[in-house]
Order: sequence, then structure tokens, then C-alpha cells
Amino acid sequence: MTITAKLGGSFVDADLAADLSAAALDLARRFHDGATLWVISPEWEPHAHHVAVEFVHPVIMGKRALPSVALVEPDPVAQARVASQPGDLLIAVASADEPAVVDAMRRAHAWGVLTLWIGSGPRPPAGAANHILWIDSDDPMIPATGTFVLMYHLLWELTHVCFEHPGLLKPASDDCTDEVCVTCSDEGRLGEVLFEPADAVSSALVRTARGEEWVDVTMLGDVAPNDLVLVHAGAAITRLAREVSR
Amino acid sequence: MTESENTSFLYPFIESEETDATSLLDDLAASARDKAAESAQLQQSSLSEYGDTLIAAGTKMAERFRRGGRLYTFGNGGSSTDAATLASLFTRPARGRPVAAWSLAADEAVVTALGNDVGFELIFKRQIIAHARDCDIAIALSTSGNSEDLMTAITEAKQRGLLTIGFSGHDGGRMAVAEDMDFCFTVHSQSIHRIQESHAMLGYRLWSVAQDHMARPLNGAHAL
Repeated sequence: MTITAKLGGSFVDADLAADLSAAALDLARRFHDGATLWVISPEWEPHAHHVAVEFVHPVIMGKRALPSVALVEPDPVAQARVASQPGDLLIAVASADEPAVVDAMRRAHAWGVLTLWIGSGPRPPAGAANHILWIDSDDPMIPATGTFVLMYHLLWELTHVCFEHPGLLKPASDDCTDEVCVTCSDEGRLGEVLFEPADAVSSALVRTARGEEWVDVTMLGDVAPNDLVLVHAGAAITRLAREVSR
Repeated sequence: MTESENTSFLYPFIESEETDATSLLDDLAASARDKAAESAQLQQSSLSEYGDTLIAAGTKMAERFRRGGRLYTFGNGGSSTDAATLASLFTRPARGRPVAAWSLAADEAVVTALGNDVGFELIFKRQIIAHARDCDIAIALSTSGNSEDLMTAITEAKQRGLLTIGFSGHDGGRMAVAEDMDFCFTVHSQSIHRIQESHAMLGYRLWSVAQDHMARPLNGAHAL
């Protein structure tokens, strides 16, 4: 008996439509500010390529070509790390337990990269990406039935609608004058170590969403490149667990 | 369409002064749901229109896989990625029996060598000449049905005895009327996006039929 797959469009309920819309507005805002969109899909590379070609070479004449690149080397985390700059975008098309994607999504905070995660099956934990665009189905064939294709097609279509509303593309106002504002108080920013200290009294070069900075790591002892640390007031105060580090 | 949308071109400065995204987000969500419904409807009507033909084509594919046949998939742009997804469905299915398949756009060395040396319209045909045996299968995906590089490859494939299958769109284009095409599945839509989504579903159905057929014992045969 032929097993019938559920039609992709039938998954797009009010919640998923709202998630796609919010994600599209963020995409448009970041593209407007000069972002490049990086795409990873370690298990289904063709999806990464399809997203990239969608944005680079739109199927509708007259729509803007936008910078987007599929990262399909064996270590997508290493590729995304070196490719991405603060303000960029990262889309993953992957299940919630794909180790490289779990790792990339976590590190993206230190890279200053906004993340979108498209997938099906068990959901990633809340907050694992800035936008989680999910098909709640345990059918393992979902990635081959056009459902993911529909999702990134919708993302592309909605993103281009946003470009018709330039007033809404300006970054949300985050100026703060309040002296105790959490955003500006430098508490617990995620950083990724670039260079370990040259000696016991030197600082480590750490990459955060704001750029690169020399950070005092004496509280942590040894640190190694690619370690994730929390930076507070010029010092690394905690190292994040290494188990999924690469 | 609301009156303000109808007349917005007269007042371009109004849009640029928008500050509240709520109504835009509502419009986007409504648009997403409309397009998703259209996608589902098109997938359903395509599956219904080609129900019997998909079974016939999938069965013939299974017969070739049983004889050791291989599947070549190819397309341009987004369709080349859908061709690659279809090939990996056959080679690395989440369930069922894997069979040999690959996308002819997958190897950048081969594609650029052929494109540079003999011309873009021959990038797939020359690979068919190199790889194909008469028990193999060729599947071409094109939303227009008119791509020259696909059509020349299909003609070559047919001459070499391959089973030839086309996924097309719009009015079917050249693919729908090509004598070299054993089966052509045209998705009747003007939207490239919606056509590609239906191509994926039709490809999935072909795979399902082929899998079912391969899992059944042949009459009078002892093994594959």
C-alpha cells in the first residue's frame, strides 16, 4: 500500500504563519542593513542550496538579488564561524538533534548572527534559535515531500513584501538612557575565544556580538580557541560546557 | 485590496513613515496561509490528475531498479536542488530500500568542465552518454518544461533505452509534447514556487510506488 504524505500546506496554521511572518520581517531588516544569509543543512544539503539560490537569483523578475550562500563543507560550524560577521543571518534546515546545527545555533550569539531554524519532528528547546519554524510531525519523510521547500519559499515571498514597507525596516529603537538597563550593562555577553592568552598575565582575544575584544580570563584558568565564555565587564566569568563544542 | 493599497503609489512617503509593524505582520500571516492553502490544493490536484500514471511510472522504475538500474535526476537552479533531494530520497530513504541515484548537477568539476568545453546545453546530455545503461532511469525537472539542457539529455536518454520521466509546469512546455518522454507530469500553475512544491510531492509518490513494488515478490521469481 502506498503511504500518503500529508500535504505541506496543511501544516501552516495560524501559529506557524505568525512565526514565518516575524522571521521574514527580521530577515528583511537585516538584509536592509547589509546582512549576508548563510545556510546550513548537514543532512539535506540540497535544501541549503535551494534557500541560497532563492535569495540570490529570485524566480520573480525585478525582485532584489540578496547575498546568500550555502555552507556545505563537512564542518558547517567551522565554515559559518569564519564566514559570518555581526549582523548576518543563519538559516538551518535540520532536525532538532543535528549536532552541528545545535552547536552553530548556540555559537551564533557570540558571532552576532540572527538565527532561523526550519525542521520537523521533536522541537528544539525554546530559545535555541531566534526563530524556530517547525513542522510538528513525526513523519521522517517530511524533508522529501516539499514541505520544507514551501516554508522557505514562503519566507522568501514574505521577506520581499517587507521591502515594500521601508519605514518598518529601520532597526527597532534600542537606545537606552536608563542607568540600570540590562542590555547595556555588559552582563553575561556570550563570547567565543579566538586566541588564548600568550602567558599567565595576558588577556585572551574573544569574539562577541559587538566585535573582538581582549578579555581577562584569569578566573577560568586555561582557555582554548573556540571555547564559549560569558564576558562581564572585561572579564570572562564562566566557561560554557564543552560537550558540544567543536 | 484596501483603498490605501490601491492609492499608495500616489503617496510614497506614507509607507516610509510606517512605524507599527502589527498590520504588516497580520497581512504577512494571512498571505502565508493563503499561499500554503494554494500549495496544498495544487499538490492534491496534481496527485489526483496523475494517480494512475504515477503508479505506471513508479512500477516501471521498480522493474529497472530490480535489474540493477540507476536513477539520474537533473534540473536547473532551484529545480536542480529538488532533483538532488529526489535522488537522495531514493539513495538514503528514512525507510525502505535504498537504490542507486544521483543528481547530474552535483559535481561542480563535471558541470563546469562540460559547460566550459562543450556548452551549457550539453552539461546533462554528455553525462548521460558517459553513465547511462539501458536499464537506467532519467528524471528531468523544469518548471517551464522548456530548458534546452534538459531536453537534449532526455532525447539522448531515450535513444539509449532509458526510462524517461519529466516534471514540468505551466502548460507543460516542450516536455509535455516531447516524443522522447515516456511520462510527463505537468503541474498546472503559473507560480514557480507552487510548481516546485508539487514536483516534490509527485516525486515522493513515484518513490512510494517504486518502493511498494520492489518489496513484493515477483510472480514465479525466487529473488530479486
